[in-house]
Amino acid sequence: MNFLEKIRDYIRISRIAPISRRYFIMNAFDGAMTTLGIVVGAYVAGDPEPLFIISAGLGASLAMGLSGFAGAYVTEEAERKRELESLEQSMLKNLEESVIGRASRFASLWAGMVDGVSPALAAIVCLAPFFLFSTLFAIQLSITITLLVLFLLGAFLGKVSSRNVFLHGMKLLCVGLILALILLVFKSVY
Amino acid sequence: MIRRLVLDVLKPHNPGIVELSKELSELDGVEGVNIVTYEIDQKVENVKIILGGTNINFENVKKKLESLGAVIHSVDEVAAGTRIVEEVRTPQDRSARL
Repeated sequence: MNFLEKIRDYIRISRIAPISRRYFIMNAFDGAMTTLGIVVGAYVAGDPEPLFIISAGLGASLAMGLSGFAGAYVTEEAERKRELESLEQSMLKNLEESVIGRASRFASLWAGMVDGVSPALAAIVCLAPFFLFSTLFAIQLSITITLLVLFLLGAFLGKVSSRNVFLHGMKLLCVGLILALILLVFKSVY
Repeated sequence: MIRRLVLDVLKPHNPGIVELSKELSELDGVEGVNIVTYEIDQKVENVKIILGGTNINFENVKKKLESLGAVIHSVDEVAAGTRIVEEVRTPQDRSARL
């Protein structure tokens, strides 16, 4: 059995796929929203420095990534351990070295990885324009990309739940627009 | 040379019997597998596993089942040798039932 097949087996046995999907959407959404807040916030503050936006964005995404990994890993490990112990009691057998025990340990690590990588990935995609274009154009492009990422995350949720893909996409897009709107109102007030 | 092995096994719901049968059928000396679930509890289930083959290695079967999180409750039937001898009814069986 090769490595990929083993991973596929562990994912199936531990039933981690729906949980990691939730983690992915939730945290990618967090990553995209944080980046949007930083980009629009920097624009609202006036005279935005691209290096500042990139540093703040990457710093925030790194923090979210690390906190996501540690949080999800520790939580999932505790839950999985409890489940395994309960199963061991029913089986009257130690299952640590069985495929169930291995899949359980893998699931905690996998959940941590998904939770850690997703916000960082979303943030990097949203910040990409600052590496390539002039500040003002990069801000416009970054906001557009972030809103697109939010729409795609919502659309993905719509697809998973076999509902209206466009409507679900628009729901998350609206959350991003509300954030941008609030920050722009701040700019006009102060 | 074990040709047929009937086991009473306790296993968690996951991995399921489809996967279990695939894994067991890949063992050396095993030519066919039949698994029947006969009792399901909240977290575990009891299954009857029938293995047929030319040279079934009981230790390998046991190890494989343990690696999949299952335990053998009992070995209910074994047929070994060059020819499979089927179970037959004897007068003792009848008298035992009376």
